[in-house]
Amino acid sequence: MIRLEKVSYSYPDGTPALEDLNLVIKKGEFIGVIGKNGSGKSTLALQLSGLLKPQTGRVMIREMDTRDPSKLSGIRKLVGIVFQNPETQFVGRTVEEDLAFGPENLCLPPVEIRKCVDLALAETGLEKYRHRSPKALSGGQGQCVALAGVLAMRPECLIFDEVTSMLDPKSGIAVLETIKKLHRKGKTIVYITHNLEELHDADRILIMEKGKMRLEGDPESVFSDVSLQTLGLSLPSLIELAENLKMHGIVIPWEKTSTPQSFAEEICRLFLKT
Amino acid sequence: MQEPVFSYVPGASLLHKLDPRTKIAAVMLLGVLTFRIDNFAGIVALFVFFFALALLSGLPMKVFFRAVRPMMLFIFFIFLTQLFFTDGRALASYWVLKPSLEGLEKGFKLAARFILLLLFAALLTASTDPSAITCGIERMLRPLPLRWLGVSSFELATMMNISIAFLPLLFERVERTKAAQAARGIDFVKNPFHSVPALAIPLLRGVIRDAEELALAMESRGYQGSRRTSIHELSMQKSDWKALFILALFIILVLVL
Repeated sequence: MIRLEKVSYSYPDGTPALEDLNLVIKKGEFIGVIGKNGSGKSTLALQLSGLLKPQTGRVMIREMDTRDPSKLSGIRKLVGIVFQNPETQFVGRTVEEDLAFGPENLCLPPVEIRKCVDLALAETGLEKYRHRSPKALSGGQGQCVALAGVLAMRPECLIFDEVTSMLDPKSGIAVLETIKKLHRKGKTIVYITHNLEELHDADRILIMEKGKMRLEGDPESVFSDVSLQTLGLSLPSLIELAENLKMHGIVIPWEKTSTPQSFAEEICRLFLKT
Repeated sequence: MQEPVFSYVPGASLLHKLDPRTKIAAVMLLGVLTFRIDNFAGIVALFVFFFALALLSGLPMKVFFRAVRPMMLFIFFIFLTQLFFTDGRALASYWVLKPSLEGLEKGFKLAARFILLLLFAALLTASTDPSAITCGIERMLRPLPLRWLGVSSFELATMMNISIAFLPLLFERVERTKAAQAARGIDFVKNPFHSVPALAIPLLRGVIRDAEELALAMESRGYQGSRRTSIHELSMQKSDWKALFILALFIILVLVL
């Protein structure tokens, strides 16, 4: 669906943000991107959404080159991006108006706009907040409004740039659950985060450092890679616990390390077995 | 929390249901009429017309008084200026000040005109959703050759919408910056002038960053400043034409009074 070919990008002060990056994102994939500050994650998000053009190389979204201005409208329909701060993404005075902003830009007739808004509200569970000001909602609900604003344009691919970093843990989990639900419905997801724990269920994890891809693979192989520590990333607590138990001869299967509940159930099962 | 002045009050009255263009045009015409008439009968007729519309809107009167109250000092100042600085038959004499009968009349008329303008504007904003107002303005501006000025009616409408939506965020940022600077020992009460740069510089930096983030979010949602549609379906109904006809009759009546 999205293809990056030898993409490089440097900031005006000369700092390289991306260097010769190659990446293929398939339809329906859930890709997690992680890395330290300044590793190029957000620049990658902007490149994937066509908001930033590569200085060398090219980004192809469904065979549409992001450097071609005539293709921008088509790219916007296919790829949506949600940013870190929900407050600076609100355009409308009410949730309904905010959600209508994207479809209005696509020049849809009012009846179609209402349909898009209704669908996006239903998908994010925000129906009861339709006439409320998005600024009056909690951080988690606000981020859901930002997500619904993008969903109202019916994109196939959604990019999330550290969307849970400004939220409390409970709201963060709720937002992540909504994203996983969208993935199950067939949306392609690119999820950028600082927190490896959020990527347990991803199809593929990319670890970035200084604008380059340092590690790539499915979560199980990435989490067990020894170079993870050298990249300054710490393992999710349940994975770390499973690794420690492994050293004592207790093996917890990978799929049981996704939630504390499944982990506890597996421990109980092993305990009862012995 | 008290609602801000000139805010929208949802409702289902006949006035609420009118097309925003009808209401905008009516307020503009009534505004011109307010400053065109020069007799008390006309002014009284305009007040009666306003109260009739206010009753029709079903809105509480406090909505309108709230719109006038902040301007009362300014209106009173205008009244006094007219009273004391208009030549005519003196009513009394206080030191160099000689209030005149003609000044009293002019002062009353001018004050009444300002109050009427505020009341009609409050009637428009209280009975019309702000985005419907901007949508109405956009539709009214669309036939004008704005492209010569380098803007489009769509851009103007978006600018208006975003200004309305972003004001609370701006106020919040001012408060947050003030609190952050106060925590670092800046006294905004003792040194109001010295503390201005301490507030203005981080505030400006923050506002520019917010604007950049907003621009990026808007661009990602397909905004290009060119033609766009609206969720608000505007169409002139029979009631709109009837309202405009009644308005025209009223204007003729006031002009012949």
